[in-house]
Amino acid sequence: MNAALTSVAELSRSQLVLRALIVLGPMIAVLAAGPAGHWPPWWVAAGMLALAGVFAAVPESPVGGGVMLAVLGWWAVALDDGLHPAVLVAAVALLVTHLASVLASYGPGEMPVERALVWLWVRRGAVVLLGVPLVWGLAVLLRDQPDQPGVWVVGLVAGLVTTVVAAVVLTAPQPGEDRG
Amino acid sequence: MTSPDARWRPTAALGRALVTAAVAVAAALLFGDPSLVVIAVPFVALSTLGLLHRPTRVPTCQARLDHVALHEGQGTTSRLSVTDADDAEYLTRSHGRPPYVAVRPQRGQVGALLAGPDGPAPTIELSPRRWGRRYLGDEKVALVTPWAGYRFGPVSLAGQQLRVLPTTAAYDSRADAPQPVGLVGAHRSQRPGGGTELAGIRPFMAGDRLRRVNWRVSLRTGDLHVVSTRAEEDTGVLLVVDALADHGASGGVDGTPSSLDLSVRAASAIAEHHVRSGDRVALRVVGRGRELVGFGTGARHLRRLQHTLAGLRVGDVAEADAGVLQLGVTAGTVVVVLSPMLAESIGAVAATLTRRGVPVLVVDTLPPDVRPALVTETDPEVAALAWRMRSLERAAVLRRLASLGCPVVAWRGPGTIDDVLRRLARRAGQPRVVAR
Repeated sequence: MNAALTSVAELSRSQLVLRALIVLGPMIAVLAAGPAGHWPPWWVAAGMLALAGVFAAVPESPVGGGVMLAVLGWWAVALDDGLHPAVLVAAVALLVTHLASVLASYGPGEMPVERALVWLWVRRGAVVLLGVPLVWGLAVLLRDQPDQPGVWVVGLVAGLVTTVVAAVVLTAPQPGEDRG
Repeated sequence: MTSPDARWRPTAALGRALVTAAVAVAAALLFGDPSLVVIAVPFVALSTLGLLHRPTRVPTCQARLDHVALHEGQGTTSRLSVTDADDAEYLTRSHGRPPYVAVRPQRGQVGALLAGPDGPAPTIELSPRRWGRRYLGDEKVALVTPWAGYRFGPVSLAGQQLRVLPTTAAYDSRADAPQPVGLVGAHRSQRPGGGTELAGIRPFMAGDRLRRVNWRVSLRTGDLHVVSTRAEEDTGVLLVVDALADHGASGGVDGTPSSLDLSVRAASAIAEHHVRSGDRVALRVVGRGRELVGFGTGARHLRRLQHTLAGLRVGDVAEADAGVLQLGVTAGTVVVVLSPMLAESIGAVAATLTRRGVPVLVVDTLPPDVRPALVTETDPEVAALAWRMRSLERAAVLRRLASLGCPVVAWRGPGTIDDVLRRLARRAGQPRVVAR
């Protein structure tokens, strides 16, 4: 406990802000389902808080992926018609969490995060966030349209291909890596 | 750089974005829930952009210092040269935290966006706060590609060594050396010669130079009289530094000094003063390293003395008595012993040299409020008692030295040894009994 408190006390102010965002993001993303009529039970919120706390403590750990999947799972389970505007809040909250962990991972926790780097990622975040309302608006427009035959199959195949390509790229030897 | 970490690896952020995007899209397709696609959109973009910036070159990093030899309190810059870093966008440096070295930025951690392949990497400023050899510790360097898809390292760069010379304390002395016997120099000799210091006015003798004639006295007395002066000669100064132990905690150049801090800085200051006065200065360190620098003059010799002081090793010597007593003191040498006077052998050598008629001056470098460092499981009361007994023994040694005619002064900076040297010089001109 003392070691944990010591490590928190050694964090720079900017790192503390980032860690707070990492904790708050998933909580907001889950609670955003509330206005859409699906408030999470206390144990879901508590579990999410615990996971987010671990993620904030170790921003580069695989727990981060688990946090993201837990939020996705809650939205998938809780909503039948997920195109409530609250999903935009959830998308923003998850993106902020991800970017905060990216910024926190650039150096040791004691190192202050450079202002220029923060602004760079704020701009990048704003750019990638542009697609969210566009896709949401498109989905709302197409909600009442009948499904095209095979559209879901094509989408699934596209997703699988993307996943395989990404896996191949990630597992390919990197520069400087011993290929023997 | 052959470290296993010296390669590009996908970051946790890229993996997280990929997993989130893939699972969200797959779940949206399986469950027919478009909200998950909305959430996945930024992660699809981030993972795609991260993968697109896959690096192709292996960077190499090398750190170097602007200066490898400094005085206490001076500063230098650690610069990092990075080659083949075209794929990198951001560089992070994390320096070690060596003792007695101030680092800026604080904690020695700095990161910056790279201004291009040939852009400068962030620098770290270092300022050693205490003399000696300072190992700066390993440094870790990491590079990240645009969109944080891949990270290089962190790789460890071998730590560099800094030789920190003792600070050149403001020190000056106007006192003459007790026994100047050299050929040329700045000290007033006991014998007449062609100097500038007035010795007296005497009748003209064959061989006297005409410009020495004092016309006023000659006219008054009716006979030619000349002004006689004392010769000016150099002297030999042997500095004996006691490095058998270091007493007290050193706070660096701005903090409280330890006994060895005082000894080394005082030795450096005295050496600099005498070298600049044209005297011959030698150094003998009584310690584990038994460093020795012979007599010499000039700026290069002073540099050698300071480097030797910076590299001295603290610790007991195997045969202290035999080693210490072989100082090689010759006639006309002034011996300045810089010691906290807690070792019996140092007191013995000072007493022996004084009995031989060598002018010896002991500079007491024990800090006034020093307390012994306690080993764990040591009873503090026993330690305090032992220290008190040791202090009493030390006081007795100092009294015995004073009774032998060996002056002991505490180091107080400029002018510390002026008065003592003057008294030694006066005493050198008087007849004395010397033990052989």
